[in-house]
Amino acid sequence: MLVGGCDVGSATGKAVIMRNHEIVSYEIIPSTTKPEVTARTVMDMALKKASLSSISGLDYIVGTGYGRLKVPFANENISEITCHARGAQWLLPTVRTVVDIGGQDCKVMSLGENGKVLEFVMNDRCAAGTGRFFEAMARVLDCGLQGLSELALQGKNPATISSQCSVFAESEVITLVNEGVDLADIVAGLHASIASRLNSMVRKVGLVEDVVLTGGCAKNDGLAKALEDKLSVTVKKLSLDPQIAGAIGAALIAGERVSKQTMKSPA
Amino acid sequence: METKIKSKAFEQFSEATKTLLNPVLQNWKNQGGKIVGYFCSTVPEELITAAGLTPIRMRATGSTSTERSDAFFSSINCSFARHCFNLALTGEFKFLDGVVCVNSCDHVRRIYDNWIRFVPDTQFVEVMSLPRKTEATQVAWYRDEINLLRGKLEKHFGVKITDKTLWKAIKLHNETRRLQKKLYELRKQDRPPITGAETLAVMVAGTAMPKEQYNNMLRELLDELKGAKGHSSHRARLMIVGGILDDPEYVQVIEDQGGLVVTDSLCFGTRIMWVQVDESLSDPAEALAKYYVADRPSCPRFYGEHDNRAKYIIDMCREFKCDGFIGERMMFCDIWAVEHYMLGQDLKAAGIPMLKLDREYNTSAIGQLRTRVQAFLETMGR
Repeated sequence: MLVGGCDVGSATGKAVIMRNHEIVSYEIIPSTTKPEVTARTVMDMALKKASLSSISGLDYIVGTGYGRLKVPFANENISEITCHARGAQWLLPTVRTVVDIGGQDCKVMSLGENGKVLEFVMNDRCAAGTGRFFEAMARVLDCGLQGLSELALQGKNPATISSQCSVFAESEVITLVNEGVDLADIVAGLHASIASRLNSMVRKVGLVEDVVLTGGCAKNDGLAKALEDKLSVTVKKLSLDPQIAGAIGAALIAGERVSKQTMKSPA
Repeated sequence: METKIKSKAFEQFSEATKTLLNPVLQNWKNQGGKIVGYFCSTVPEELITAAGLTPIRMRATGSTSTERSDAFFSSINCSFARHCFNLALTGEFKFLDGVVCVNSCDHVRRIYDNWIRFVPDTQFVEVMSLPRKTEATQVAWYRDEINLLRGKLEKHFGVKITDKTLWKAIKLHNETRRLQKKLYELRKQDRPPITGAETLAVMVAGTAMPKEQYNNMLRELLDELKGAKGHSSHRARLMIVGGILDDPEYVQVIEDQGGLVVTDSLCFGTRIMWVQVDESLSDPAEALAKYYVADRPSCPRFYGEHDNRAKYIIDMCREFKCDGFIGERMMFCDIWAVEHYMLGQDLKAAGIPMLKLDREYNTSAIGQLRTRVQAFLETMGR
């Protein structure tokens, strides 16, 4: 059985191909302004990597992410909340809290023992705590995303960033830069402010270990560390690229549809 | 969800949700009838009807901007207040012969303050003082307020509101409530013949035209729905609870995800009709005060009533066989802010899943709404 998951997010498109619940291939590309094109391009790349000549070789495909309604070849679409939880739970069966930080939103899901989402909260009204925020800060501080993560880990006395708003946080950062505050401390402060926002979201659904980070921003070790400090628990590392957790979840659900014969529309 | 309703009455109800001055209301106006707008469902409509006027609930339907009104408010005022006052400033409420405000919340209070000062062409603008508790003392207070407004209406419009005419109006409005409740009874069926979005249109229309005509149209709709083939393609049955929600489009987005809304606690919903004004009392003003302060399903505007509200909602959820509950709240609405958190705790204890949604007055950010509702249905295994 061959199935696919395609997660079209605001910043990147992800595709995963699975055979009998094992990953055969996956790809990540930057999103274009046309979700259909992003979906097709990333899926074609994943197919090629899996040495499959055509999408017709897949038995079932689930689309997810902001562009989920625009994945032309998907048999069904499932929300990214369900998919991220599912993917994270497959990667780490003991997970109970998933913090997903994507390009334009962040969400926290609490999971039951069976991996089912019990409750979720979402911030998609402002850029604070999203990939866009970190991109903007890396630009202001001229350090790149990787540099941002490294600087955050070096900060000894995190500067206080009071603003929860990305635009005003940027103004605060510029003020601190002009005051001559150590760059690492500013960056550490930025991460602490985002982590404290995530902390309050986690408290809304209830903190239960294990906790994992998913989404593109999960690759930021500085953020993982800042979140650990706020939550006072260890944030577990996933064994695979955390950015594809949603696409994995989508592919897992596709596989389940095939094995349980609960397909919504013909492949 | 596709509509199954064909009657002309429903078409008129639907039309009434899309405009401020709908054709039925325009017709009343053309015949020389007068119209008084009121803010918040705690203003006794019956008093306005008894004065020979048509009461309509204030909405900001059709407003696309708040650029004129923003200067009058602060960054923590809700978008309903802004949109509504923007329409007042641009002259969209010129068709009104009067406006009755109430201190139901601080946002509406500020509309009143600004209205009397900056919208001089409205000849009759009054404000009622609504108590915050629901005991006999507060009922007596609101009875006095009702009689005060009664005197002001009499004086300004040159009419006499006798006990007899007031009782007549109460009976007419109670009939509206009975008919609306009948409509809700149909929604208890496994296959409800009307969607939540359609029901909201029916309820909003009820606050936007003369009651006699409305009652006749609603009877026509009830006749059509009796024995009609209902909806069955939904994934879950939902209850929606919150403050001012007058846009069927919003409910439509929820229902397009497969969550059929079958009941509510809304002030364009069960809160204004589940219970009737007690017709057995001797003083109609007292009967109205008792209804609006103490008897009606409570709004979080009132103190000390949370447990009753939670019980009402949980009982309603069970009565209508709801799988889940959606709590909607307009951004910056302080009245509903804490209420939804507490309700969330109560519903969790009762084993009913809840989704909390913040929104703006105008239905927007549909993609984000869709994601939340879809995920909510998925968490219920639907």
